Amino acid sequence: MTFQKLFRHRCPRHENKVAPTLCFLVLGLTYLVLPNSLLAQTPSDGLMMPSKNVCVLFSYDMGSFDRYWEGTKLRSNETIATVDQNMIMPMAAIGILDNLNFYVSLPYVSTESSEPNGGKFTGARGFQDIGFAVKYRPFREEVGNGRLSALVTAGFSTPISNYLSDYRPYSIGSGAPEFSLRGIGQYQWNNGFYIRAALAHLWRGYTEAERDYYYNNGSYYTAWMDVPNAVTYEGILGKWFFDNSLKLELSYFSLNSTSGDDIRAYNAAQPTNKVEFDRVGFSAQYFFKSIKGLGVVAYHNRIVDGRNAPKMSNTGFGITYQFNVIKKQTDEQDAQ
Amino acid sequence: MNKMRNKILTLISAFALVIFASCEKDTPRYLPYEGYSFTELNENGGDWTPVLEDSGASIAVDEPDASDSQAYQDELAEVKEAMANMTPEQKKAVKYWTNNPAIRWNEIALELIAKYNLIPGPNDDGTYTLPNPANPEGPPAFPFAHPPYACRALAYMSVAQFDGLITAWHYKYEYNRAAPYQLDDAIEYAYEGNNIPSYPSDGAVIARASRKILTAMFPLEAEYLQEMEDENLESLLLSGGYVMSDIDAGLVIGDAVSATGLARAANDGMKNAQTPKAVSDSIKQAAYERFGWAWDNLEIPVRPVGLTPLFGKVTMWSIADVESVRPIPPPQLDSQEFLDDVQLLKDYARNMTDEHRRIANFWQDGLGTYTPPGHWNRIANEMIVKHKLNPLQTTRTLAYMNMAIMDSGISCWDAKYYYHYPRPIQMIENFETIAGTPNFPSYTSGHSVFSAAASEVLAYIFPDEAAKVRGWAEEAAISRVYGGIHWSFDAFVGTDQGREVAQYTIDRAKADGADN
Repeated sequence: MTFQKLFRHRCPRHENKVAPTLCFLVLGLTYLVLPNSLLAQTPSDGLMMPSKNVCVLFSYDMGSFDRYWEGTKLRSNETIATVDQNMIMPMAAIGILDNLNFYVSLPYVSTESSEPNGGKFTGARGFQDIGFAVKYRPFREEVGNGRLSALVTAGFSTPISNYLSDYRPYSIGSGAPEFSLRGIGQYQWNNGFYIRAALAHLWRGYTEAERDYYYNNGSYYTAWMDVPNAVTYEGILGKWFFDNSLKLELSYFSLNSTSGDDIRAYNAAQPTNKVEFDRVGFSAQYFFKSIKGLGVVAYHNRIVDGRNAPKMSNTGFGITYQFNVIKKQTDEQDAQ
Repeated sequence: MNKMRNKILTLISAFALVIFASCEKDTPRYLPYEGYSFTELNENGGDWTPVLEDSGASIAVDEPDASDSQAYQDELAEVKEAMANMTPEQKKAVKYWTNNPAIRWNEIALELIAKYNLIPGPNDDGTYTLPNPANPEGPPAFPFAHPPYACRALAYMSVAQFDGLITAWHYKYEYNRAAPYQLDDAIEYAYEGNNIPSYPSDGAVIARASRKILTAMFPLEAEYLQEMEDENLESLLLSGGYVMSDIDAGLVIGDAVSATGLARAANDGMKNAQTPKAVSDSIKQAAYERFGWAWDNLEIPVRPVGLTPLFGKVTMWSIADVESVRPIPPPQLDSQEFLDDVQLLKDYARNMTDEHRRIANFWQDGLGTYTPPGHWNRIANEMIVKHKLNPLQTTRTLAYMNMAIMDSGISCWDAKYYYHYPRPIQMIENFETIAGTPNFPSYTSGHSVFSAAASEVLAYIFPDEAAKVRGWAEEAAISRVYGGIHWSFDAFVGTDQGREVAQYTIDRAKADGADN
């Protein structure tokens, strides 16, 4: 079975205050679909970080599932019992221009089954996919009682270790390169409420198995498995509180593979599966006034419906720190 | 500002295009060979000794109309008419089936094995329901095409094909009626010419015999298999290689050899191989009393019966008494040899290398795949094409290889349930594996025995490949130790066992007349 992991982090967002330079940016919804990790490192929020700022994120995510959709049928399986997946995620965002940010991320993932289980399979661990993304904001205007922004993100990720993607449900990623293109629209009212919607297309390449025959509604005499492309949709409702130091968000996210086969009865998942899921989540992020640039984030997500996907719930905590690399002194002086 | 905006968007789009363009990979669905010129014709092949039939002459095939008769001329006209009106789909089918369709039918069998190689899961109340041939739809669907089932299906299909082609060769060279493309210059053969008489059609024998055996083995696929047979038969005519009466004569042979094969299959003991729990328990108890150990299934919920406990009682092809090839007993559980193996397995698991992982996965051929017997059929198919064997040699290779594989599997299962030896996960506390532990005892390793037997037959048929295939068999054997699911002596003794068992079939092959 495949499983997903999601992840939602943000650096602080204090766009109007140059000085504390809190990152406002970033790491948006990084979400990692484990077997289909792809989105994993795609920044998808509506924020931009100013030029010359850097934001670093370090987070820890704990996910698990004890049921999964075999095709569209939700089931449990004592062979794998409850599968846990933990992830450590370092990420950095760099403000190249005020309207152009760059991101890089490299998650470390480990998986294992709870005891007792009937399969006695060993888990997996390792660095997953290195991800790069650029986000560009071509449009931001005051409209009515607030501000309307449009953003576009392009991301690329590729496996950095030789982890085996064809080892479900323990494999730590899809094992395939992914290119993503995402359009984001956001409207924020002056009272701090905002809504955001995003639409993305994920192009996934092939992953190489360690066997040269597999069944995918017929024989395939090759080690290469075609990881299906996917379309994602998301909607966010959020609000800033306490003079832009606390941000709360509710999210809905949906991923739909555009091709692929179903997991067969009581059989292991494989990278060619048609994965679909709907996920809801909540996140809170707080930016300290006392320590410039420092923020913390916590979130919880759960998958509520799916196909060939684990019914995964995950919870994470992260710490973010934003600083101005070049003109820190100047900016701080400017701010005063 | 707008300029920069456009530049950035252009860059992003260009990046996307590059990624698109660089990603397409070839993912073949079948062996990419086309019709080819055979290295030999085996004009005396009709004199070879069949496996189940008495001789190449034991199935009656009527003398055909002479090629200068009006009836034959009418048939030729029919071929020309059909060939002149071929659709693109028909042309594609002719190319696909080739002039050696036994390989295509072997691939169809492998695909069905992979499709049906799904172990039934537990019901909500923790019980298990087994596939039932009387109710093939299930759930679970019949069959569960596990390795014993797979090797048996392949053996019966290959034997029927081989017996059928010996018969076809007998009549081809008795009646000597040439191919349409040789009798009429207006007909262009779809493949390279081979100078083998066309009556009866060897392709029709293959299509009919394969379809009938596979339909018996995979009853839910009857319709699909009929479509495949129809397409194969139509392609024979459209290739310019056969007239309808060539094909009809081939069907007579195909019907007869498949009936012989299925009659044997009905009474070979397979239907009793999956025992009730009481029988399974008594087999286990007998082993415990004999040796002081017994294998346990550790799944949750526990499977009450292991896989086919009495497969070891199924009638062998080339050996009268399975106990005559039973391997030596495995080590006592308190012996130094056993304790050393525990340490070996722990070391392999703790220090999993990329190479060990690759080998374990490459030969795993587990649930949902074509199984180890299927893997060796795939290897055989590739070698057959590489060495340009004719259809008769092709089916001889596949028949003896699959007979040896099935005999080796029967011998392996005899050892598994006689010795009932525990698996590593049962004996090593907190042991975890990268491969799935199967639902049957450990000693000896099925992969090792199947692979050794297959490689010995391939080494006999293709002497120049002998070192290579034997090396692969040894790698397949040790792959199970790397995977954490077999002891090293399961693999080593199993390899010896497979080689010994295969020798009986190879001796038979050496005496069938083909080597003279």
